[in-house]
Amino acid sequence: MKRFCKLLRKDLEASRLPVLFLSGATLALMAYVRARLANSPVFVETAESYWPSGYLVLAVMLPITFFPLWLVWRSLQTLRSEWREDTIYTLMALPVPGWQVMLSKLIGLCVEYTTLFIVTVGGFLLFLGRVLELDRVLPGPAWVAVNAFWVYVGGLLLFAALAVQVQLAFVVSKMVGRAQGLVALWAWILAVWFSTRVSGLLQPLFSWLPPVPLHELLRLDELGEEVLLLVYPEKYVVFGLVTVLFFILTGLLFERHMEISS
Amino acid sequence: MSTGRQALVVRDLRKRYPRVEALKGISLSVPTGEIWGLLGPNGSGKSTFLKCVAGLLRPDGGELEVLGAPPSRRTKEQLAYVPEVENLYRWMTVSQVLDFTAAFYPDWQGESALELLEFMRLEPNAKVTALSKGMRARLRLITALARRAPLILLDEPFSGIDPASRERIVEGIARQFKGEEQTMIISTHAVGDAERLFDAVVFLQEGTITLQGNAEDLRSRHGKSINDLFKEVFA
Repeated sequence: MKRFCKLLRKDLEASRLPVLFLSGATLALMAYVRARLANSPVFVETAESYWPSGYLVLAVMLPITFFPLWLVWRSLQTLRSEWREDTIYTLMALPVPGWQVMLSKLIGLCVEYTTLFIVTVGGFLLFLGRVLELDRVLPGPAWVAVNAFWVYVGGLLLFAALAVQVQLAFVVSKMVGRAQGLVALWAWILAVWFSTRVSGLLQPLFSWLPPVPLHELLRLDELGEEVLLLVYPEKYVVFGLVTVLFFILTGLLFERHMEISS
Repeated sequence: MSTGRQALVVRDLRKRYPRVEALKGISLSVPTGEIWGLLGPNGSGKSTFLKCVAGLLRPDGGELEVLGAPPSRRTKEQLAYVPEVENLYRWMTVSQVLDFTAAFYPDWQGESALELLEFMRLEPNAKVTALSKGMRARLRLITALARRAPLILLDEPFSGIDPASRERIVEGIARQFKGEEQTMIISTHAVGDAERLFDAVVFLQEGTITLQGNAEDLRSRHGKSINDLFKEVFA
């Protein structure tokens, strides 16, 4: 456990600077948008519509579109940097199982996701909540918190699965001598294809699982309309199991078949 | 100070890269308690050999017994490996590097590490990025010498290092080596600096052993120092 904690701390320390920078940039963006909205005559005139300006698109869409791409890049980068900076020699000489190396990186990435999620949602509510009079549109702080939580959980699971696929693709690419970029890309495409294909094929095995009442989890009735939103989980359960298998495979490949040839 | 036990046994070790055969059937036995020099020019297979022993490369053929077992997670725990490349995390401080290493190896000697820091003239709070190449080499050496590892592998520890640092490193090795329980293999092509350390040497060229033997025997048999012999063989 002590060894794993050291690995985790190393990975968290390594991601501290980029996360701090991105968090600062996000908050600065929110503050900027707030200043523009507060001074916008268009906004004042159409305050009742609550969606007055393209600035909002900037404030919301930029983090929403950029951060997933960033996190996928980071999934690759956390491993790639070990090779680029030759620290892979240290990592591979350590007497730890491969899965611990991969898990510490995965947890580090999840902490990055969590931080950026909190900063984005928190910054949005802090800087723009009052200007947009969200308290008049949305049922209340508890509703916002519950919805933000489920969006966070859903995003985290999706991102973790994606990160595992990227890790697997990268490790596979390092097992060949040439065209590693191309191999990584194909390995990733194959991993995505395999996950979705197997999820579709094996989902009947879990058909006994009851549907998840998403409308209840998200408390959609509080929006004033009767909405029925059910999610059938069998496909996602298989997808999750395949992701766990990918994770185990990545750890095994890293520990038993990875080589440093340069 | 050989004890009769073998720290490393290698039989017909082979390793091939896509375009070159790096090791062409190496066989040797390294007794516990000795310092061996693995000598050869660049590209002779020294680093490949040490990586195989350290478990960073998988041999294509032959047998490898590291401390009585094939390379595995367990043998990684028992050996200290300092690669030729700069393998330190650059954002760490000197003391963070030592803390990090200490967490993974039960044979870590905290007091030895502090003594070595002082001997090698390194500041614990200095960032790795702020250290000179020679200082980083000394720090990497401390990560190995501050352990009571039964087998220590040093890959080109003098490469690109200024003469003062080289002398410090040689002195550090001589001071810390615990002959009754440790074995050390040093790969280098800077033979002169380390010659006095070697109990035995192996000359490696293009993946094969060209000369091997006790350092003192070789000196008396050829009537010259290992360094001169090295120059003659690889001229």
